[in-house]
Amino acid sequence: MRTDWYIFIGAGIFVGLYVYACIFWCLIRYRRAANTAAQQFSGNTPLELLYVALPLLMVIALFGVTYAIEKPVDRVAVDPQNTIEVTAFRWSWRFDYPGRFAAFGTPANPPTLFLPEGETTEIRLRSVDVTHSFWVPAFLFKRDAIPGMTNVFDLTPTRTGEFIGRCANFCGLDHALMSFTVRVVPRSAYGRFVASRGTAIP
Amino acid sequence: MIEWLTTTNHKKIGIMYIVAVMFFFTVAGLLTLVMRAQLAVPNNTLLAPQQYNEIFTLHGTAMIFFVIAPFGIGLANFLIPLQIGAPDVAFPRLNATGLWLFVLGGLTVFAGLATYGGAASAGWTAYAPLSELFVGTGAGQDLWFIGLLMASISTILTSINFIVTIFLFRAPGMTMWRIPIFTWEMVATALLVLMAFPSLAAVFAMVLIDRHLGGHFFDPAYGGNPILYQHLFWFFGHPEVYVMILPYFGIITEIVATFSRKPVYGYVGMVISAFAIAGLSLGVWAHHMFTTGAVSNAFFAGMSFLIAVPTGVKFVNWIGTMWKGSIELSVPMLFAVGFLLNFLIGGITGVMIASPPLDYQAHDSYFIVQHFHYTIGGGSMFALFAALYFWFPKMFGVKLDERIGRWVFALMFAGFNMTFIPMGFMGMEGMARRVFTYPAIGHLPLLNAIATAGSGLIACGAILFFVDVALAAYKRVPVPANPWGGYSLEWLTSSPPPEFNFDELPPIRSRRPLWDMES
Repeated sequence: MRTDWYIFIGAGIFVGLYVYACIFWCLIRYRRAANTAAQQFSGNTPLELLYVALPLLMVIALFGVTYAIEKPVDRVAVDPQNTIEVTAFRWSWRFDYPGRFAAFGTPANPPTLFLPEGETTEIRLRSVDVTHSFWVPAFLFKRDAIPGMTNVFDLTPTRTGEFIGRCANFCGLDHALMSFTVRVVPRSAYGRFVASRGTAIP
Repeated sequence: MIEWLTTTNHKKIGIMYIVAVMFFFTVAGLLTLVMRAQLAVPNNTLLAPQQYNEIFTLHGTAMIFFVIAPFGIGLANFLIPLQIGAPDVAFPRLNATGLWLFVLGGLTVFAGLATYGGAASAGWTAYAPLSELFVGTGAGQDLWFIGLLMASISTILTSINFIVTIFLFRAPGMTMWRIPIFTWEMVATALLVLMAFPSLAAVFAMVLIDRHLGGHFFDPAYGGNPILYQHLFWFFGHPEVYVMILPYFGIITEIVATFSRKPVYGYVGMVISAFAIAGLSLGVWAHHMFTTGAVSNAFFAGMSFLIAVPTGVKFVNWIGTMWKGSIELSVPMLFAVGFLLNFLIGGITGVMIASPPLDYQAHDSYFIVQHFHYTIGGGSMFALFAALYFWFPKMFGVKLDERIGRWVFALMFAGFNMTFIPMGFMGMEGMARRVFTYPAIGHLPLLNAIATAGSGLIACGAILFFVDVALAAYKRVPVPANPWGGYSLEWLTSSPPPEFNFDELPPIRSRRPLWDMES
């Protein structure tokens, strides 16, 4: 997903600078002077068609990039190593490690989501009241928690560490405080943590 | 006074629209300053959460429904009959109905502030089921829905009026291929309103049924579906974005052509691109829903990318209009250049967030706040001021001051970019939108402090603008019929125009009847 950002920022800067250059060129070169008159022409069909074709080719290329990058992001593994059920509620989260235990937080005391490093964890996301959104900025990813449906996606963190997560979709009074912490820990530590029903905190 | 309250004259109605818009603009702008004060430092306690939520809801609602969209309608009211050589619009009384429904709708939304439980606080999108809860969204939320229903009915009525006027009330010789681009953009806008606004009226009616008559349209416990709300809302909401930009494209086209002393470059391309944008905008609504996991991201991404093509055509034509011209940087042209520079950033970031994997990070973050403020703030709002400076002499027969106007532009341009450039970086660092506070992590405190300072500069610019208007009203220096050297029909008649616009019309043989008279 980082690649998507780089490609789009690169293309954006290129187009932006080109158009800015054209605008400033016109403003400087054709600024009103005492003895010049404006040339009275009103179009150039081949040039205009060229400027339809060029952006069209560009957006087709960008669409290809987008499609190629999104496919693996949206793919859900058939046999994930772990599954965690995440439930959003106003205004905190419940993390349920099925068959083991569940932890939940409050706005003042946000909960922690533990993930194993280098393994695929399937997140099954639900909401019990209004629409929320599960967002971990460091993962460049969010998915909405919508009442009445379960959203499923995979997280496969590649390095250990502590990351901030929050609700992204406005959900009322304490939306701003609806955060959580993600701790990515080594596989073995994660196994001990879940087996001990959350007492052996890594 | 009574004359103004009971008038059906399109020019008076247009001016009253604009006066009401400037009132709502001032209120919504003051709300912004309070929001930016709250966000100036992390963990601030200036506002309570509920207060902040009410304020950002009212700010967004007012700017969208009661400033940017109706300004286009107000200006079109004033201009369309003048540009096509008509004495008035087709249905003057319907026009007055539209004006007063709009004004009362706005006051109804703000009346929520006086209710127990406060004003609406579910954001301008008012997603169900959040907006159906009675805790935190009481009578104020009902008034919000009702006020916006009034505004949407007003917009639909006025759009019908515009279409009939433009199709049937053109002067002899004023064929469709000769009407000014602003009027063309209003044809596209009005058709788009007729497609999109019924969806808004329907979805708001459904919420009111859920809230008061025991309906369950959006309640999954009874088989309802929250996603349905999002579909119906955005089927209106995305075309609404173009209702808020197409009239301003028209304004910029007129101003760039006038101050370059040239005909519009690519007139036909301008018309086709307006309709291409309007048509495509009906098929992109679910790009607001990429993160729901309930829509076809690929389809809506592809459609959204395509809108960049006709928008690019407009940029090419604006630059083509300036090319080899004789450009005078008067205040309206300065604002038009500001529009071009800002709107381009809004357009480019728009293409970025049309890519779902990128939007997974950007959606509902301050990156989005940056993006849409560059389009309807840096874009439409700059065009709004360009239009005020450009047509003020025509409306009131007096000119605004050039020197003060340059300062207004400089303050607003500097302030705007200072406020909104940092927001893109806030979003990338993980700041969600619609939050009353944020933790002191990363660069967030610094970026927010810069943004707050920038909003102060914008406010100074706005205050200076009102000073400029007050001075013009005080000095009353009369202006000629055509102070800028424009070539469309509104510059033929006196400033301000007489009751029925024209005593006599010249033969209309081209897109620039006044040019033909000169040569």
